[in-house]
Amino acid sequence: MPEIKASSVEPGKKAKISNTGILFIVLVVLFALFSYVGRPFFFSTLNLVPMLNNLSFIGIIAAVLTMVMVSGDIDFSIGGNIGLTACLVALLLSKGLPGWLVVIIALCGGAIMGAFNGFLATVIGVNSIIATIGTMFIWRGIGYTLSNGESMLAMNPVIDYIGRGFLFKVIPFPIVIFIVVFVITYVIMNLSKWGRRIYAIGTNPMASYLSGINVKKVKFVGFLLCGITASLGGLILTSLSAVGMPQHGQGLELVIISGIVLGGTALGGGKGQILGTLAGILILSVLYNFLTIMNVYYFYIQIVQGSVLVLVVATYEIRQSRALKRV
Amino acid sequence: MAKPEKQYSGFKNFLRTPTPTLIGLYIVMIIIFTIADKNFLTVQNFRGIFNNFAVFGVLASGIMVVMLAGGFDLSIGSISGLVGIVSAVLMMDKFGVPTPLIFVIAIVIGCSVGLINGLIITKIGINPIITTLGTLAIIRGVCYFWANQNPRIYNVFIQGFGRKFIADIVPYTTIYIIVFFIILALILKFTRFGRNLFTIGGNETLARLAGIPVDRIKIITYVISGFFCSIAGLLLISQLGSGRPEYGTGAELEVLTIVVLGGVAVGGGKGNFFGVFIALLIIGSIANGMVMLDVPIYLRQVVKGVLLVLVISIDALRNRRNLQLY
Repeated sequence: MPEIKASSVEPGKKAKISNTGILFIVLVVLFALFSYVGRPFFFSTLNLVPMLNNLSFIGIIAAVLTMVMVSGDIDFSIGGNIGLTACLVALLLSKGLPGWLVVIIALCGGAIMGAFNGFLATVIGVNSIIATIGTMFIWRGIGYTLSNGESMLAMNPVIDYIGRGFLFKVIPFPIVIFIVVFVITYVIMNLSKWGRRIYAIGTNPMASYLSGINVKKVKFVGFLLCGITASLGGLILTSLSAVGMPQHGQGLELVIISGIVLGGTALGGGKGQILGTLAGILILSVLYNFLTIMNVYYFYIQIVQGSVLVLVVATYEIRQSRALKRV
Repeated sequence: MAKPEKQYSGFKNFLRTPTPTLIGLYIVMIIIFTIADKNFLTVQNFRGIFNNFAVFGVLASGIMVVMLAGGFDLSIGSISGLVGIVSAVLMMDKFGVPTPLIFVIAIVIGCSVGLINGLIITKIGINPIITTLGTLAIIRGVCYFWANQNPRIYNVFIQGFGRKFIADIVPYTTIYIIVFFIILALILKFTRFGRNLFTIGGNETLARLAGIPVDRIKIITYVISGFFCSIAGLLLISQLGSGRPEYGTGAELEVLTIVVLGGVAVGGGKGNFFGVFIALLIIGSIANGMVMLDVPIYLRQVVKGVLLVLVISIDALRNRRNLQLY
């Protein structure tokens, strides 16, 4: 099977630097600019380490969601998944369960949620956008029911280590998870047979089916992994904040999907790079962090988030239609 | 995409729609709720049910037009929130805007936001769900410009707009919904615009090739949705008696459930208003019944989500292609 990559699918390739390269240049420029404007607070360990910690749980979900989106589906339920996982973890800890068991149960819960999404999208054949908007509310509702709408303390040595521990006493543990997940997804998407199948399905599901790919299986596994990663993100967030509350992760799907799309992943599937997602998520994290430091209200940041999503998608759509006209 | 199918006409076609199932379901529900609580089947209670789903009913008529043409609108809750807070602020004593002008401003705001949605979706060609997800966040953010105003509604006409009853039994709002539904149903059935709408929902490429102005009609559907959002926003501030920036949050989910339950296909091209009205009654009665049966408030959210997933699963199974390979 010919290798299908974003760069080869895209028509009218003229620029010498790839899209991802441009994004990384933008990132460096923005970072330098913000460091100057937001001095002395922006470029300090007191700001950058928490920013990277926050980035880690957004980033791992984005990396795996990129796989789902390249295969032509989408998962909006990640935010709800985080909320439910946070409440589940806090509830189980308050019942006195050991930390490692809670982690395993939380990840299994994520797997069940992901599998349910996958079941709806592949076996029943519901449009994954609407299905996962529905399940988003179910997960969050269950989270509210478990916690009775309150935030619960989640303190345990194991849980603490996930979000606030340091590997070799230097590297924050969330960053380790972040790097590991990105390396794994990069290997899957760019170097493995499975990854090439995902690109093929996103480009043309019918042709993929006819060439012998089990389309439903590949898509289902994508949703499953997405569920597990979202609950891992929920664990990190719970650990970072030391509380489990059902509001955790609310509106996160907007940031994550904007980041992925900014990274060059097409909404219809078939196009997208893990490194692009990395760049997109980094740019958005730096931007929102800067806005928070500059004392902008959350509600106005919400306006920026929505505008970024629409602007980014619009830019890609216009570029694509121009490229098609040229051919 | 759903097969292009004619709008249902005649009794035989009516039986093939999901509507008879819905009516059956509703009768069963009434029986169950009445056994559980004898106060359910009373005029007093139904007055409340009808008045409570007013906002959702008005929003449903707008989103239904959009969905019949194969589009989607998630920003309806935010638009009605924006219209609500702006109108409420303008009604404050320091501005003193006359009531008719408030209606005009509200409708202009709603329609222009709808127009922006429509232009982005058709002219730039972004997926409607992503576009309206973005505008949902943007408009909700804009609502918070007036977060510290906290206006209350003293305008007698606006107060009556969503709260009055005819002969103390039939709410004004029910009349609005029925009138909107009948007008829209007539437009969809008997005008060229309506027929084109169903054609676009059935097969957009085909409609384009047949020379139908697809973009223009799609933009009009989003403007119509915006119009109904502004009516819904006015109803919100009328019924709640004040203007708050968070009004209408999450309404899109509720309305989506109602519309899909009522038999409107998510891909477009299929649906009728009678089914949507029955669905409104069902969802309204479930909300009412859950309060009567003392279901915990957070569990109600779960029930609503489960209902949406169930309804769209049934929709997907019903509209499943003959050759479902992948």
